Order: sequence, then structure tokens, then C-alpha cells
Amino acid sequence: MTDVDVQARLAALREQYGRRLSDDLQTLMAQARELSARQSAIGLDALETLRQGLHRIAGSAGTFGYAALSRNAREMEVWLQTVIESAAQPTPPTLVVLHDRLQESYRDLELAQTSEVVEPEGSYHLASGDRGIRVAVLADGDTDTLIRALSGFGYECRSLDAQATFPQWQPDIAIVDTAKVADEVWKPAVEAAPKAALILLSGAGDFETRLKAVRNGAQGFFTHPVDVPSLEHRLRHLINLPQQDPYRVLIVDDDVDLAEHFRLTLKMAGIESRVISDPRDVLKGLRDFVPDLVLIDINMPGCSGPELARIIRFDDDWLKIPLIYLSAESDAQRQAKALAQAGDDFLVKPISDVALVAAVTARAQRSRQLSLALARDGLTGLIKHPAIKELIELEVARGQRTDTGACVVMIDIDRFKSINDTYGHGTGDYVIRLLANLLRQRLRRVDHVGRYGGEEFVAVLPSCSLENARDAIERIRVSFSELECVADDKTFHATFSAGVSCTQDWRDAETLLEAADRAMYAAKQGGRNQTRIAASRQ
Amino acid sequence: MNPLQRILHVEDDISIQEVAKVALEIVGGFEVESCDDGQSALARADQWQPDLILLDVMMPGIDGPTTLNKLREQSSTREIPVVFMTAKVQPSEIEHYRSIGALDVVIKPFDPMTLAAQLREIWERAHD
Repeated sequence: MTDVDVQARLAALREQYGRRLSDDLQTLMAQARELSARQSAIGLDALETLRQGLHRIAGSAGTFGYAALSRNAREMEVWLQTVIESAAQPTPPTLVVLHDRLQESYRDLELAQTSEVVEPEGSYHLASGDRGIRVAVLADGDTDTLIRALSGFGYECRSLDAQATFPQWQPDIAIVDTAKVADEVWKPAVEAAPKAALILLSGAGDFETRLKAVRNGAQGFFTHPVDVPSLEHRLRHLINLPQQDPYRVLIVDDDVDLAEHFRLTLKMAGIESRVISDPRDVLKGLRDFVPDLVLIDINMPGCSGPELARIIRFDDDWLKIPLIYLSAESDAQRQAKALAQAGDDFLVKPISDVALVAAVTARAQRSRQLSLALARDGLTGLIKHPAIKELIELEVARGQRTDTGACVVMIDIDRFKSINDTYGHGTGDYVIRLLANLLRQRLRRVDHVGRYGGEEFVAVLPSCSLENARDAIERIRVSFSELECVADDKTFHATFSAGVSCTQDWRDAETLLEAADRAMYAAKQGGRNQTRIAASRQ
Repeated sequence: MNPLQRILHVEDDISIQEVAKVALEIVGGFEVESCDDGQSALARADQWQPDLILLDVMMPGIDGPTTLNKLREQSSTREIPVVFMTAKVQPSEIEHYRSIGALDVVIKPFDPMTLAAQLREIWERAHD
């Protein structure tokens, strides 16, 4: 049996254990909760049962990779042991503390299980998931102009017949001209390819037509004659919307049971949340959990909801996160007063589960769209400088933890100034967008690409060796140099130079970037239109 | 010195039993049998004659130390070395287990990738 098989067996056991651990923790939580609510004296045998449960977890969790949970259980066990040995009668509040710690462990476990991602393969394959962006056009002939224009931006474009070829090709985006194709023809075809985002073209642009488009599930709507740059902009927007991670909500409420109910309700709807019962922990919660939205109970002992909202707003990092009060307050005037201090909205308790989920989803969605728009470069739709730097730091740290290296690539368009001078800035922008599209399409989905400066790009490729990174970038370099750029009636070719560095040679993000930058300059010095690898320090 | 081949693992936690089986059989190449409690371990050790018994300290029914005593009372199992496995980590406890006749103590949680090597080392040290 190979090492990989052993790892697979262990992974299967770990998964099985994880489920059991989850049950065990819930049982212990229920026991602690029951004891904390007890009016009469608590028997030693009940405490001993709890202690044994903790002991079991302390001894086993670490073997299955839950080291922190194991330590946590050990601490609780030792504490209970002292209580039992001293024969002191534990007070209900101390058991509440125990219950909360168990709950914390339980949430950490859930988080560990849900955030578990399949590590990308070490080699650099452009798997089927990493193919080009496929755009299907259903327009009953007369699609040449549109297809040529979009292909020029690097999309894989085809004019398709609704009945036969459309679903098989598995397009990412479907553009349907409703002026040319009847509803009963295109609708079944689009339904057969549910993963494709739908853009409708129409002869009319009135409100009723737009409303109909929305009801037909369109994510984009354009009238004839179609403005290709805005259409392309919309395509980019649709593609940038990532595989949605679940929304994340931080619940700040001292009523633990109610908060737990909210958490479970949101969980049923696929929304992740974390409960904070002490307002003092909110900043740590924000940092650790990075929510899309915060729900704050308006009446909490020690710190009111609006006070807490103002504390959160002190920090620029959290300015864009919606703060929603949860309150039994139905007095409109007092609501307005709270909102005037800080906070964005009110949800009135009691609130039905359906209403809670709807309210949270709508606001979290808006929040996420905003932060995406803020972090992305307007021209290329790529990640902006500060955000890509953060991502590089993250991937570098991850690369070092997992010792599958990550690579950083610096890319700079050759003689960009002369392109601008010869063909004008509009053409310069067009070349930048061309390269941005090519990078986005040719790199894997796990890679990140950012616009670093004017004509400079940076990419971080997790779990990728130096050689594989160089090969991937070389393929892109050749494709780019072969692309025909159009400026008015003239055509020309643009090229780029690239430098690659790897976490195996450099300690931190800063030196990695510098090394990739030096390699890129060496490529320029060496005659441009080439890729160089950063020599390691020794 | 005869090589370490057969290991009897006595552990009430089925998850630990399974992971230890992978760790010792597949990673370590040993022959492994598992028992859920001390009572069945006494019978199994008598029949199967393992080279070593890996014995969990805390088990319902008869615990690890009591099982060790009973193994020592049985003539067919008197000589079989026993290694305790425990989630307790106080040095004094480890000393205590050694003093009542354990060959050594393996600490929980263990790393499944190195458990076999750990036992082999204990085995070789005892036979030096």
C-alpha cells in the first residue's frame, strides 16, 4: 500500500471521526447545559460522566488532526478534575462557562470541517475546469460581428443552434438575441445548460421588456445596436463573480439560546454564522471570522448595540460591513435615534425564520458585491494592488505551512509607452484588457491575478512548482505574442516579459515579489518577450 | 532478539482502534488484533500469544492497570510485554505505570504516521 493510500485511509477515518466528534460535543454541551440549569445540588457522578467524555476527546481528537480541540478538551478535563477532587460544589455559572467553551469547540470543529478544501494538485494542469471562458451566441445567423469582437477579447465564442449543439458545448455564458430567436426556442436550450449565465439582447428597451428579461433569469440586458465594450464589461463582471462562498454573519447577542437559534436558522439556509455573547469579543470576532454582515442585539448589559456599532465603525476596515440591529424595539422614533448614531438597519424581534434569512441574504449579498467592486480594478476587473498583495501574503503563508510551494509571477507589457504613443491611450487600455483576459482564462481557478501598476500584472499560483509556473506563463506569453491587436485600420503584436519566483527559495511575500521583479527585469534586459526564473539566494 | 510481529491492541474507543490498526498494520507492517475491553483481552492474549500488548489505561469495566495485573496472574500471558497508552501526561504517572510493570507508555493523542516506529523503538530498547 502506498503512502497516498495510507493518507486516503486516514482521511476517511478522520472524516468518520469528525462526525462522531460532532455528536459527542453536542451530547456534552447538552449535559453541561442541563447541569447549569439544575436547582438542586449536582452529583459527583454527573460531573464524572462529563469528565470522562472530555477525557476521551482529549485523547483522541489530536490523532485525527484536531489538535487545538484536543488541548481545549484537556484543559476542561483538568478543570473538572480539580472540581471533583476538591469536592467543591460547582455553581451553575461555572457550568455555563464550561458549556460555552464546549460550544466554542463545537463551532471550531464545524468551521474546520466546512472550510476544509481539497488541496489543488501539485502539477499545473489546465483541467477542464480551467478551460477558456465559453460564450455561446444564439442569434439565428448574423452573429459574425459580435463573435469576432468578443473573440478579440480572448473569449471562446461560438454561434450555436439552440436545439442541437448548445447544451453539449457547456457554455459559461449564453447570449440570446430575443429579436431573432423565439422564446419557445431558446428557453428550453438555456434551461438545459443551467450553469450558463444568461444575457439577453433585445430590439426594445422599455421597462416592460426589461422586467420580462429579469423574470426570464437574465443577468445582463442590452438593446440593439449592442455596445460591445459594455457587453464585454458585463461578461467580465459575471465571470468575476466567484463560486459563491457561503455568506458569513456575526451575531452579537447576550441571549445565547436565541443567538444559537438564529445561527441554526441561518445555517439551514446555507449561511455561516458565529455567535458572540460578550460585546467585548466583537473586534476579535470580526478579525477572525471576517463576516459579510453583523447582527447586533440592541440591548446588551455593559454595552448597548449603538455603542458597539460606533466602536466597530472606529475601525476603517469594517466601514463597509452592514451593521443590523436586532431589537424588540418597534418604536420608530427610537429606531431612528439608534440608526442616527451608527448602524444600517433594524430587524424587529420576534422575527420569523423566513424573514430573518431573507433580510440577511439581501444585505449580505449587497455587502459582498460592494467589497468585490472595491477590490477590483475598473479597467481589467482584476484584483487591485493592495488586495493582491494580501492574497500573496496569504498564499505564501499557506505554501509554507503545507510545504507545497507557491509561485509569484511578475508580468510587464513590453514597450508599452511606445504602444500608447503610436496608437493612443485607448489602444493601450485595450492591450491591457486583452492581457488581463488572457491571464484570467489561462490560469487555474485557484490562482489569483492582479493589476499591479499601469502595465504591470502579478499572479500568485498556489501549489505549483517553479518549472510548472514557468511553463504555464511561457504558454501564455506565446499566445499573447500571437494575438493580433487592432488599432483603427492597423494591426500590431504586443509582447510581455515575466519573472517567476517560488516560496521554496524566498521567505516572505516581500522578498518573493522583489525576486520576481528582478527576474522580470532580467527578462527585459535579455531582449524582452521572455520568462525568467529568479535565481535563489545561494 | 525475536522481531516484533504480533500486537494486541486493547482500546474501548472504536475510532482509535481503527486508526491504530492502519498505523500499525499498514504503516508499520505488524499483525494487529484489537479488543474492546480488558476482559476479552485476557482471553485473546492467552489464545493468540502476541509479542506485545498495547493497553489503554482508562477503559470501562476493568481498567488498564487491573488488566495488566490479571495478565501477570495468567501463566500463559505472564511474560508478554505491555505498553500502556494514556491521555495523561504527568511524568509521575508515567513513572507509576512503569513501576507496576509496563514496558513503556505511549501518549495520546498519537501520530498515526509514527506510532509504529515508536513501538519498534520501545521494543528494541527493551531488548538491548
